[in-house]
Amino acid sequence: MANLNNRARAERTYDAIVVGSGITGGWAAKELTERGLKTLVLERGGPVRHVLDYPTAAADPWDAQYPRGRLPAAELRAKYPVQQRTGYALTEHTRHFFVRDDENPYAETQRFDWIRGYHVGGRSLTWGRQSYRWSDLDFEANAREGIAVDWPIRYADLAPWYDHVERFIGVSGQAEGLPQLPDGVFQPPMEMNCVEKAFKERSEARFPDRRITIGRTAHLTAPTQEQLALGRGQCQYRNLCIRGCPFGAYFSSNAATLVAAERTGRLQVRPNSIVTTLVYDERRQRASGVRILDAETGQEEEFYAGVVFLCASAVPSAWILLNSASARFPNGFGNGSDQVGRNLMDHHLGVGASALVDGFEDRYYSGRRPNGLYIPRFRNLGDAASRRPDYLRGFGYQGGAGRLGWDRPTEGFGAERKQALSQPGPWGVRLGGFGEILPYADNRMTLNREVKDRYGLPTLTFDAAIGDNEAAMRKDMAAAAAEMLEAAGFKNVAPYEGDYALGLGIHEMGTARMGRDPKTSVLNARNQLHECPNVFVTDGAAMTSSACVNPSLTYMALTARAAAYAAEAGRKGDL
Amino acid sequence: MATPILNRREAFAGALAALWIAPVVAHAQAAAAVPAWTPTALSTDEARTLAAACERIIPATDTPGAAAASVPQFIDRALAGWCEPQEAERLRAGLAGLDAAARARFGAAFAALPPERQDELLRTADAEGRAAATARPPRPHWFPAVRELATVGYFTSRAGATQALRYDPVPGAYRGCVPLAEIGRGWAT
Repeated sequence: MANLNNRARAERTYDAIVVGSGITGGWAAKELTERGLKTLVLERGGPVRHVLDYPTAAADPWDAQYPRGRLPAAELRAKYPVQQRTGYALTEHTRHFFVRDDENPYAETQRFDWIRGYHVGGRSLTWGRQSYRWSDLDFEANAREGIAVDWPIRYADLAPWYDHVERFIGVSGQAEGLPQLPDGVFQPPMEMNCVEKAFKERSEARFPDRRITIGRTAHLTAPTQEQLALGRGQCQYRNLCIRGCPFGAYFSSNAATLVAAERTGRLQVRPNSIVTTLVYDERRQRASGVRILDAETGQEEEFYAGVVFLCASAVPSAWILLNSASARFPNGFGNGSDQVGRNLMDHHLGVGASALVDGFEDRYYSGRRPNGLYIPRFRNLGDAASRRPDYLRGFGYQGGAGRLGWDRPTEGFGAERKQALSQPGPWGVRLGGFGEILPYADNRMTLNREVKDRYGLPTLTFDAAIGDNEAAMRKDMAAAAAEMLEAAGFKNVAPYEGDYALGLGIHEMGTARMGRDPKTSVLNARNQLHECPNVFVTDGAAMTSSACVNPSLTYMALTARAAAYAAEAGRKGDL
Repeated sequence: MATPILNRREAFAGALAALWIAPVVAHAQAAAAVPAWTPTALSTDEARTLAAACERIIPATDTPGAAAASVPQFIDRALAGWCEPQEAERLRAGLAGLDAAARARFGAAFAALPPERQDELLRTADAEGRAAATARPPRPHWFPAVRELATVGYFTSRAGATQALRYDPVPGAYRGCVPLAEIGRGWAT
């Protein structure tokens, strides 16, 4: 009997366990396996095989069952009341990459848009792919302004890991030499179209501090040997990325990190495995592994390892910590600081300006560029000229120009209208801001043990909103965008400010922040729990502030750095 | 290569083969014939009215029109399983009203009228639609809704996307500034 148990335990024991297979889980798996660790990746959702399980990747417009591939109104209401809130992401071509809200309930004290997919690859399949480095303007901001707690790392700590990540994933972009947006290892930039080039020239003449560049995006424009050897190829400009790329041209776990990890022979991926709790060994004062619920069989099982990486994304990783309360951790695993679930951040968006353009009627473009313009932050850079009296931090813009299509508003009917719509419409330009959200302790998610999900597991309640700082920033985000479009001589310049609720940026972060002091933070400078050093959290939960740039590149760099450390420390017996 | 999704639209292909080959259903008599498909949301009369209206909204020209692109079937399917029920009801009532107006003014079903008469009635509907849109508060109206569905259905159909527009499933490259003359038409996507 003892022998059987021992054998069972040995079969369930790995060097490392990674919870989650999305953008950070894939990176943890790659780094840990490549550094010699036998690694188990636990994914709560089902399997998604690269290419084979992208069933809609080659669907043509006429394959849509309903207008524009949108799901029926009744189905959206019943199954996807939250996932439909983006207005663009959920269609019949992508529904298999999003959760059903009726099966994954949570409570909203204030509206919180929790947009997610449970499957191997997670949101690395559906992400926006924009990839920007942080700078010390971001890492030093909390300390400089006395907000929340200081980051325990600086740009120099992460810079080599940004290099490492960019070299592997492939980032297309243009070096600009801006201190607030460090350049990286870039593949050739995508091209701006004629109106974007004119906009850049005219707007920069008036506002030289507002640099207009092409987006930096995780697409291959000149694949390396390493990327080709993984089976990845060059971007084909279909702009159907969110369905999964059959060319492996944008970075995803499925196309890249999990493939690399698999090739080491040290990877095992176990789908349908919902990690419910971390298992704590009182004697060793370390985590010994995790307990899972098999989503298919309903059976509980345990897996063991010397090191555990939580890479389930900010909200689920914090959920696991909170749900792992015990005598040692009455307030949640590693939560002596009471910071787990607090400081929930995102990027606020849905604000900017649009315009129409006279001229360029005889110009067009060819190909569907999965990328747009980027205008790096130009407010509060530390000098007097960029200082705003009305708010802290800043924002960047994403946008672009294009000709209006056949779906532009038109009146009448008949042959003349049909002929007109068969030709491209006027050029339009749009800029949309992505703003930094400060870490507010009261912006939080809490575990609700009274309301259980279909597995009998506690659900979450969200209570978070933007504050005065963000509200003031939004006014400027609309006004400054309009100013630039006016400066370029465009017409019908229309600032807009739409509804925004936390989560809509799909950049949720901050729920287990890094810091220097165990009393006020959850993780140390290496992403280890202060209170249990063989548990690492390297997804968005770790973020001490949000900056204004898309966060995935930073999550990947933090993960690779932590995994390298974990492998080394484990070898030395320091975990 | 990944397999394209199977979809209900393919199921119509057989029934439509005749329409793809035969002269386009462009004028009154042809449109008044029994539809070559069985509507789901609409009655036969409503489907006939819809098909005739769609063909006036997006007529066959040097490129196929709404009927050849199966737009009426597309709209029927949306009304059956996609719209809010009250929206589908509003569109059905609108089609019935259009047919009633045809009978009252010209003594024949809308689908049986010559194109000029049909256009006259549609112009009235279009004007009503504009008035409803600019009313305070704006009111929904069936005509802009049908026009919108017909437009989406047409330009996302194979005929609309590849003949009226240009479609390139795998462009392979992005060129940011090319003469429009080189492309010739608007891109479907």
